[in-house]
Amino acid sequence: MSGERARRIEGALKVTGRAEYAGEVRPDGMLHAALVQAEITCGDVVGIDDSAARHTPGFVDQVSYDDARSLAPSTATALIREPVVHFPGQPVGLTAADTLLAARTAAARVRVDYVERPSVAAIDQALDEAYAPAMAGRIIGASHRGDPAVALTGAHLVVRNRYQTAVNNHHPMEPHVVVCWWEGEQVVVHTSTQAVYGTRAIIAHALAMPADDVRVVCRYLGGGFGCKGQLWWPWMLWTLTASKRTGRPIRLELTRAQMFTLVGRRQETVQDLAVGFDATGRLVAIEHDVLAQTSTHGEYCDTTAEVSRRLYACPNVRTLHRLVRTNEPQPIPMRAPGTAPGTFALESALDEAAEQLGIDPVELRVRNFADHDHDADVPWSSNSLLQCYQVAADRFGWAQRPASATVVDGRWRIGWGMATTCYPAHRQPCRVRVRLQPDGTIVVQCGTQDMGSGTYTVLAQMVADALGVPLSQVTVELGDTLLPEGPFSGGSQVTASMFPAARQATDALRAQLAELGMGHDETLADAVQRIAPDGIEAEGAATANADIDVRCMSFGAIFTEVGVDADLAEIRVRRVTAAFATGRVLNPLLTESQHIGGLIGGIGMTLLEQTVTDRSSGRIIGDNLADYLVPVHADMPEFDIALIDEDDTYLPGGVKGVGMLGTAGIQAAIANAIHHATGTRVRHLPIRIEDLLHELPATTPGALPSMSE
Amino acid sequence: MPIERIAVGLTVNGCAVEQWIDPCAMLLDVLHELGLSGTKKGCEMGACGACTALADGRRIVSCLALAASYAGAAITTIEGVGTPDELHPLQEAFIDHDALQCGYCTPGQIMSALGLIAEGCCDRATIREGLSGNLCRCGAYPRIVAAVAEAAGL
Ligand code: FES
Ligand code: FES
Repeated sequence: MSGERARRIEGALKVTGRAEYAGEVRPDGMLHAALVQAEITCGDVVGIDDSAARHTPGFVDQVSYDDARSLAPSTATALIREPVVHFPGQPVGLTAADTLLAARTAAARVRVDYVERPSVAAIDQALDEAYAPAMAGRIIGASHRGDPAVALTGAHLVVRNRYQTAVNNHHPMEPHVVVCWWEGEQVVVHTSTQAVYGTRAIIAHALAMPADDVRVVCRYLGGGFGCKGQLWWPWMLWTLTASKRTGRPIRLELTRAQMFTLVGRRQETVQDLAVGFDATGRLVAIEHDVLAQTSTHGEYCDTTAEVSRRLYACPNVRTLHRLVRTNEPQPIPMRAPGTAPGTFALESALDEAAEQLGIDPVELRVRNFADHDHDADVPWSSNSLLQCYQVAADRFGWAQRPASATVVDGRWRIGWGMATTCYPAHRQPCRVRVRLQPDGTIVVQCGTQDMGSGTYTVLAQMVADALGVPLSQVTVELGDTLLPEGPFSGGSQVTASMFPAARQATDALRAQLAELGMGHDETLADAVQRIAPDGIEAEGAATANADIDVRCMSFGAIFTEVGVDADLAEIRVRRVTAAFATGRVLNPLLTESQHIGGLIGGIGMTLLEQTVTDRSSGRIIGDNLADYLVPVHADMPEFDIALIDEDDTYLPGGVKGVGMLGTAGIQAAIANAIHHATGTRVRHLPIRIEDLLHELPATTPGALPSMSE
Repeated sequence: MPIERIAVGLTVNGCAVEQWIDPCAMLLDVLHELGLSGTKKGCEMGACGACTALADGRRIVSCLALAASYAGAAITTIEGVGTPDELHPLQEAFIDHDALQCGYCTPGQIMSALGLIAEGCCDRATIREGLSGNLCRCGAYPRIVAAVAEAAGL
């Protein structure tokens, strides 16, 4: 039932290795594909010679620009239709062969001739070409209310700093993969995607096919975090082209190295932030200017400064996003897009202000609580942030916070820090079909996909709850365009999008049964046998949200304790206590997993993750999982997660998104704790040993304060 | 340059199989050719642990294991641990603790944990250390450790 700590219903398939991921279908006669990658940074492809490649034993075919020219022009086909190299490693062709080894050998033998052009390999090489995009994500790129310049001049305290965040890569554990084959004029595409329907639409458009002739399947998805979307489409389309021409099924799987360049990244940011306060600690002005990277073939801008517009009450706010085009890979959303880098700056600045004002960091945030969205001047659908601060602070033991840089535990200097997190709550159109089988069991179908967030389980719970049947009676089918159209997995919106559609479908099913004469005390199983022996089904459809007169957001408060090694400056997060308010919690077990996973992603961004680019060639340095550091088991702190249940009567079912919240706020909570431990303020991510090594003050042993529960 | 194939006899999950393989084929790819897709490929260079299997009870990263050199060895993959109807206690503990999200790292985590339990682990810190070669990008780590601790009787 909803609200129950139900176990993941597909768990048994996953723990036994039986869940079939997209790359695991093995059609007869399948070929393997490999990508030919550009060796230059920027220029034109003027010749492709595959004569040596064709002599590779097992070679079957090679496709390149000429073979994609008949595809419809779009952003998804530009990189495979136009022989222009925008970044090093960009694919210029694809080989297909009997074995993976043969395909890779052939790809290495394709000779490509280029005319090189001057390149820009880092944003600081073209600062004078920075421009302001119209949009940052789904919001307007620039904003202005009140008169922040004047308000800053008259402020009691101004904290003005530059904050920087690094390029990150998503790196879901499952590499991008496609296995596709043609059946006459129809194509079947098994691919790792966060959007089976979105992928179908792109294929149909590119190949000028009726959408019904394209079937996209992704029953299990090995993570995504934002990168299993549009930037994968060009390489997938080349594979489809080769499959059509050879008449054979083909499989293309990206290598881990390719996942650094071909499927998107979290863009780096340089943020100039000024926050002004009056003597009582109330915000009087915020100016937040963001500079970020985009590629020379696409435009993407995170909503980095959005938090400065609406997280706190402030009469004078100006924000601006600017981009610089470089010959580096294209950025796209990555878990907690915008809010992760944005809260790092804003929540670090608030901590600095709290210290200078002599006000407790929690109290400073409470004083600046926004009782409505000041940016749009509309009420919140619900906002339990004050409760989040209180619950998390109590559980963490914040009241015993000692003075800065005084606590030592053995060789560790201990520090405490906190920060706020938030993420918008959205919904997309969604259809859900519910079928009552002759044996009384239920099948639920939706053409969305489960990225690992628990979509199978919560959809089953919604339907079981609405129909009053045990969860074990419900089977869920996802990840196939033969099912009713469902939302893409992104922006923490799938659960909220499914809820109204599922409810409509179960209501319609009940209405049909009532019409057929189902008795009041009859069970579904008895009724279906008596009045609909072939089974009966109903569909529900819900639209996207169009909230104009209200703002829907999830909020949370994150508290951390860090230890910094007094001699080696190693940084360890020791414990994290967080309270999250995300509307109605459908499954606390899975929701906690999402929050913990989100926080771990945030710990990675704060202390470990950085994609490094060579400043002359634009190539990625260390494009592997040994050099690109991500959190591992040994890095784990203790987690204490509090779920604040909200009764949001505005949202259908009261459901908000969950997955993004933990990946924002934590960065500043850790940075603030490091400052508390050492007195050193680090204003860039990731924060590493070298940032603290030279600045550690001499230690004076002290006692660790006692913790409350 | 013709690619020659060689015959290799392996014992996989208790079944003896003879397979014609490329002399430089990795065990992971051979398992996939045998239709055993439970062992995952995450990096192909020994850095993620998704491909962990047991060879004569010892954990190995099968992406770096030359298949030809495992002739005669007893290989155990996730398919040999339990079935959905008859789960191994560790698999049951994974589900109880919600020690998985996308599930892609899960077979590797479980195989690695089985190897670790056999090696002997005395506390949660040892489990964390011993499983640190198995990456989980979804961040299921604390719950994986809870599941392994339970199965190890800690
Ligand atoms: S695939 Fe073998 S360790 Fe990553
Ligand atoms: S559960 Fe997704 S990578 Fe571990």
